[in-house]
Amino acid sequence: MSEFSHGIELQFASVTLGGKPVLEDLTLRLTEARIGVLGRNGSGKTTLLRLMAGLIAPDRGQVRVDGVDPFRNRKATLAALGILFQNPDHQILFPTVEEELAFGLVQQGLTPEEAAGRVAALLVAEGRAHWAKVPVSTLSQGQRHYLCLMTVLLMQPRTILLDEPLAGLDLPTQARLARRFAALPQRLVTITHDPAVLAGADRVLWLEAGRIVADGPPGEVVPAFTAEMDLIGAQDADADLAG
Amino acid sequence: MLTPTSPVESPYSRWPAGVKLALVAGLGMVIGALSHVALLAMALALVWLTFLPVGRAEAARLPLRLRPLWPFILVIGGWHILRGTPDVGLAVILRMLIMVAAATLLLLTTRFDALLATFSTLFRPFERLGLPVERIALALAMAVRFIPVLSQRAADLALAWRARSARNPRHRLLTPLALSALDEAERSAEALRARSASV
Ligand SMILES: Nc1ncnc2c1ncn2[C@@H]1O[C@H](COP(=O)(O)OP(=O)(O)O)[C@@H](O)[C@H]1O
Ligand SMILES: [Mg+2]
Repeated sequence: MSEFSHGIELQFASVTLGGKPVLEDLTLRLTEARIGVLGRNGSGKTTLLRLMAGLIAPDRGQVRVDGVDPFRNRKATLAALGILFQNPDHQILFPTVEEELAFGLVQQGLTPEEAAGRVAALLVAEGRAHWAKVPVSTLSQGQRHYLCLMTVLLMQPRTILLDEPLAGLDLPTQARLARRFAALPQRLVTITHDPAVLAGADRVLWLEAGRIVADGPPGEVVPAFTAEMDLIGAQDADADLAG
Repeated sequence: MLTPTSPVESPYSRWPAGVKLALVAGLGMVIGALSHVALLAMALALVWLTFLPVGRAEAARLPLRLRPLWPFILVIGGWHILRGTPDVGLAVILRMLIMVAAATLLLLTTRFDALLATFSTLFRPFERLGLPVERIALALAMAVRFIPVLSQRAADLALAWRARSARNPRHRLLTPLALSALDEAERSAEALRARSASV
């Protein structure tokens, strides 16, 4: 797809949080349609996603999404890229489904009437017209995840960043969401600690302590990652504090 | 931020947000001019009556919604009793209750986007002075949305306390509540930034 021509670029990007280096000197060019970032808890995956989404700025180095600085140029970035947070409750801002869905569209410049029309059309197309007035607090965890995905899709970004998109969901919900992700025309960057999620990826990056330790097709990276995790699991890794 | 309350469908829901805001402001001016305690008490009763079209349950819930104001009532009341002006204190307390009740009714029956649009229109004249109108309107509307979230959080914390302690938490929950409010604010700011260019 021609929209993928630019992709996400990092040049010597570093992020320090609370005086601690979390990402160090990352240089990357992501242009594939299905990209996975693998790493264990605390390796910096969420921070990398925030950096790519322009929610935070690098302390050093540069980040570009389809050619623009995602931290400074918010308008262009909102059209280029959407992000699905790990916890939908941290993403949802409004009490009802239709308000939640309409917000981003109005922020993109649609009138409230146009936004309401698009939201109604989407809910009908998804077979969920009855959701419009429903309080978000009455939706199940899986339904909230789904609502967040709808919110992002409505804004029609070219790339979607997914933070542990299947964690904490029951198996049928996981299967349904995974099928939905697989069918999306967008470029997807999926971060996860679970290698199984990345079976269909074009490229997998392994992040460890804020650095890329492996980068290649899943057939190469995943077995190496799994072997290393088994090794660490055999030791008492849980006693270490991430901070 | 999962907001526990959602706009209730009622006759007021169809009124323009600007009209409701103007009515609340007008009410504020009227009761500001009143100092007679009996008249103010009547005004409070009237405001309470205006909850009825929203539903009896909402009207019955008003005292519960006003309950978090008790520290203010205590301080204002105490101060005026000490100064020997209990009438003045009672009037101030009544005015506060009236305004909070009216604002509650406004929030209960007004959607966020309508509130946001009204704030934007209200501040539009200041745009020429270089004021970031969209931003201020968004901040105000978000602050208003935050109120029910905070009271829900306070209730959740009290539950978590009770699950592990037989004693009454009272002020001990203030610190965790403040910290959790800061957390919530930070997360909401990030969620806003992910979808809005004006933050
Ligand atoms: N706001 C913050 N302040 C200080 N340290 C942080 C902050 N956010 C994350 N960290 C630290 O950065 C590291 C990476 O965090 P994160 O990106 O959330 O990892 P992951 O998503 O891979 O589990 C962790 O050690 C975490 O403790
Ligand atoms: Mg994470």
